[in-house]
Amino acid sequence: MDYDVLVVGGGTAGMEAALSLGDMGYSVLLAEQQASIGGTMILLSKVFPTLDCASCIATPKMAAAFHHPQVTTWTSTEVDEIRRDPDGTFRASLTRKATCVDPAKCTGCQQCELACTVAIPDQFNFGLVGRRAAYIPFSQAVPKKAVIDRYGDSPCTFACPAGIKAHGYVSLVRSGLFDAAMELILEDVPIPGCLGRACYAPCEEVCSRRELEGEVPIRLLKRFVADRYYAAHPEPAYGAPEQRRDGRVAVVGSGPAGLAAAYDLARKGYSVTIFEAAEQAGGMLRYAIPSYRLPNEVVDRDIANVTALGVEIRTGHRVESIGTLESAGFDAVFLACGTSRDRALGIEGEDQEGVVSSLAFLNRVNRGEAPDLRGKRVVVVGGGNVAIDSARVARRLGAQSVTIQYRRTRDEMPAFAWEIEGAVEEGVSFEYLRAPVRFVGENGALTGVESIDMRLGEPDESGRRRPVPVPGSERISAADLVVTAVGLETVSDLWAGDPRVGGRGTIAVDPLTLQTTILHVFAGGDCATGPTSIVAALGQGRRAAYFIDCLLSGRPLDGDGYDHRLAPVSHEVVLGRQASYRTAPADGKRERPGEERQHDFTETELALDEQQARAAAGRCLDCGGCCECHQCLKACPAEAIDFSQRDRVEQVHIGSVVVSTGFHLFDALRKPQYGYGRYPNVITAMQMDRLLTPTRPYDTVLRPSDGRIPESIAYVLCTGSRDCGVGNDLCSRVCCMYSIKQAELIMGALPLADITIYFIDIRAFGKGFDEFYEQARSMGVYFVKGRVARIEEAEGDNLALVYEDIANGGKVARAEHDLVVLSVGLLPNQDALRLFSNGDLRADEHHYVLEIDEDQTPARTSIEGVYAAGSSAAVMDIPDTILHAASAAALAGAYVERLKA
Amino acid sequence: MSEERRDLREIVRDEMLVRDRVLAALESGPKTVPEIAAELGAPSYEVMHWVMAARKYGYLGESLPTEDGYYRYTLKAKE
Ligand SMILES: Cc1cc2nc3c(=O)[nH]c(=O)nc-3n(C[C@H](O)[C@H](O)[C@H](O)COP(=O)(O)OP(=O)(O)OC[C@H]3O[C@@H](n4cnc5c(N)ncnc54)[C@H](O)[C@@H]3O)c2cc1C
Ligand code: SF4
Ligand code: SF4
Ligand code: SF4
Repeated sequence: MDYDVLVVGGGTAGMEAALSLGDMGYSVLLAEQQASIGGTMILLSKVFPTLDCASCIATPKMAAAFHHPQVTTWTSTEVDEIRRDPDGTFRASLTRKATCVDPAKCTGCQQCELACTVAIPDQFNFGLVGRRAAYIPFSQAVPKKAVIDRYGDSPCTFACPAGIKAHGYVSLVRSGLFDAAMELILEDVPIPGCLGRACYAPCEEVCSRRELEGEVPIRLLKRFVADRYYAAHPEPAYGAPEQRRDGRVAVVGSGPAGLAAAYDLARKGYSVTIFEAAEQAGGMLRYAIPSYRLPNEVVDRDIANVTALGVEIRTGHRVESIGTLESAGFDAVFLACGTSRDRALGIEGEDQEGVVSSLAFLNRVNRGEAPDLRGKRVVVVGGGNVAIDSARVARRLGAQSVTIQYRRTRDEMPAFAWEIEGAVEEGVSFEYLRAPVRFVGENGALTGVESIDMRLGEPDESGRRRPVPVPGSERISAADLVVTAVGLETVSDLWAGDPRVGGRGTIAVDPLTLQTTILHVFAGGDCATGPTSIVAALGQGRRAAYFIDCLLSGRPLDGDGYDHRLAPVSHEVVLGRQASYRTAPADGKRERPGEERQHDFTETELALDEQQARAAAGRCLDCGGCCECHQCLKACPAEAIDFSQRDRVEQVHIGSVVVSTGFHLFDALRKPQYGYGRYPNVITAMQMDRLLTPTRPYDTVLRPSDGRIPESIAYVLCTGSRDCGVGNDLCSRVCCMYSIKQAELIMGALPLADITIYFIDIRAFGKGFDEFYEQARSMGVYFVKGRVARIEEAEGDNLALVYEDIANGGKVARAEHDLVVLSVGLLPNQDALRLFSNGDLRADEHHYVLEIDEDQTPARTSIEGVYAAGSSAAVMDIPDTILHAASAAALAGAYVERLKA
Repeated sequence: MSEERRDLREIVRDEMLVRDRVLAALESGPKTVPEIAAELGAPSYEVMHWVMAARKYGYLGESLPTEDGYYRYTLKAKE
């Protein structure tokens, strides 16, 4: 056996049982689902009727249990299943949840919490105040270690092919930490300026906020932080890393894939040289994407992030063969030469003057050699984003008319809807279901396009309906320039001629490592995948860098630990967290007017200002909890934060089980007539107990509506107890006494406040209880025998209680107070009943764990060897709980003795 | 309170967004929760959450209560 006894639940009963068993010499595993042991008691102010300080009693117990040599405590641990073996022992499966903090290193200094940028309601203060995603549960927590709430990857972060922590920088923008946002992006990629403008933003497509009024404008937020940072930092603030590593890497191509690989490898200390055939670096970023979407200065500044690391970019250098790089002594090569050629249409007249490919056309314009198209009729062939770019550029060059011919309908068009709309606004016209069959010319120069109508036939392999020509519908329209944009392809000369690689078209690579058939040659980005996107190419470059580093540092290329993402949190889970949402109006389009922008190459999209950026980021729903902003990593002096932690399932073999899973509080929302959750000044007694503790969430007892000291406080006893209407006909035993306790404490804290307790009857059955009640009466607490029917809101956030005045003949009466406390009842925690997979842990008629021999052997349950302790078996106060737990411990010890005999 | 209260999570989430504004409101001197609320144009029960969180994390503290039962909150110097 691993342990003699497993104690499930580390509240008052669990700690007591563990301590008793430990003192008797048994080895105990104490499993607690929260991040601290202590249960409810440690959160209370004082205990009735002695008014002893709860934490003064509980804290030493917590420490004693935690440090007991015979007791092992696992916090943040769920017991998933317990099975009873035929020999009477048990096997339990437990999940130890990742807290992302190494408890051995954490000193509990709370710096992470202070730095964290995600605010979440504090469950230990019952929502009266917020906490952070990184937090110490409460000041007396045992263990006093930080934990981080991480429910999974946020959808946006999970969706980013380049591994950018989208949620992280959104959250930093929300907090106004703009430089930190930029630094976070730069942790992953070197080109935030380009991405902030031209990324297709797969993050936004999956943003949970899309299910409400619209996605968070994640891409534009990136542009905002990049622009702001670049304005203040015209040059990168860093140089080459001091720590160098052996290994020289050649990168072919300076597009996103090449830049990303060079950036990651150079930061690791490798020396990297990029070879670029064009005159300037940037690939498509510079030569294809039009400057009204992505100005060249932004490309330049982004690339400086790479060269600042000591990366050399040799422009105007076409690499002719892999062999030349090998003989130049490079230890590894990354081919990232993109798709540098338009696919040909293969129709008559394509070679004549006046017919250009989209890349050639865009390239010329971006190099500053734009043709004058004033008065010209331009036809663009194709339906993708490149076709749209070409058309919008033609418009800016003064073309009289620009028509996009596409052989399917708008529904099938691969271009993004906003791009199509942008083109329409700028006066581009569309001819759908039409395709060219021949380019007509005179003396080798274009005069028109002969095209034919199409209709949609059966779906092809891409799932889109195949266009079929309609015979006899050919006609010629006049044109001065045709731009063909029907897809891009790679130029494979570099590897097709190498017998070790060979093949035309995209280069073949291992999809995990991006290694080609040559050990030290990797390839990625569009030259390996076919045309994709900037961010996909960045992801490929980063992947290559990771595996090149594995190769050069002699680590296996098995990919173990490469994908460190967690499963994404689903939209249902995210949206299910709130009962309601206040939606902001959607941001709408942020472009200069079409009429104005179609004449120049100034950026079309409008940037966000600081206020807009923060407000937009403020719409983020914090899907994954922790946003991975890494502020805690920076703040932690002990280097205790560890995001590589994962949930761990542990199997343990034990002799006996003590179930001390406690109770649930009645959810006051189930009595809507009392207005909890609707009226801020209706709170629960648990919240009031927090307000009365020394570590309280407010400075004293205050009204949540406005922070005023209350003058007239009402208690509504039996909220959710003795109430068949909510399915709980039991008396909760402790509510009368805790309410009286609170009343006395409030009288001490707020001597001027009136306190009225509305009761049905006062149950003061324990030692000293009745005296306690009489003491409260003599102190001036009003007791009104009356059942409260409903609570209404009155003037000034006050509350009107409508009640049956039992002492005065049952007439309906009304009284006004400025704070109402609902003395909520205690309900069974039925989770315990599901713990045992092959035994029936039976419940009594009230759904508590059944004590099968309550009169003679309390704590004995329907499964031999399993004992119930404390309020898992019935509502009880703290002294009774401790007695009951001791009894469960004695029985468990005896059972283990019998096993061992 | 006529308008619907926002969900608790939403109010708490906004803490990171409005903290700067809450603190800025105190730059001109100590204020009560309703006074801060008036300056921010936000409901005072929401401001209560933000003020108490800022208090919890050491950005502000309270002075003695006013005649009408409100504490005024003051900026705390950050070490
Ligand atoms: C008009 C247009 C608009 C686009 N708009 C967007 C957009 O808005 N958002 C988006 O996400 N994606 C967009 N894309 C796609 C995006 O640009 C590509 O997916 C991305 O650039 C691919 O990156 P890469 O590094 O693989 O290739 P590239 O960017 O093509 O870079 C490859 C580089 O390698 C160089 N090279 C090639 N062969 C050699 C050799 N033998 N020796 C030396 N150097 C060589 C090339 O000159 C080039 O500089 C667009 C593409 C086009 C054409
Ligand atoms: S990464 Fe950011 S959000 Fe996550 S715990 Fe650390 S500071 Fe908080
Ligand atoms: S709501 Fe926030 S965390 Fe969730 S997907 Fe959108 S940006 Fe990411
Ligand atoms: S900053 Fe580090 S040492 Fe301090 S509480 Fe957080 S994790 Fe622990």
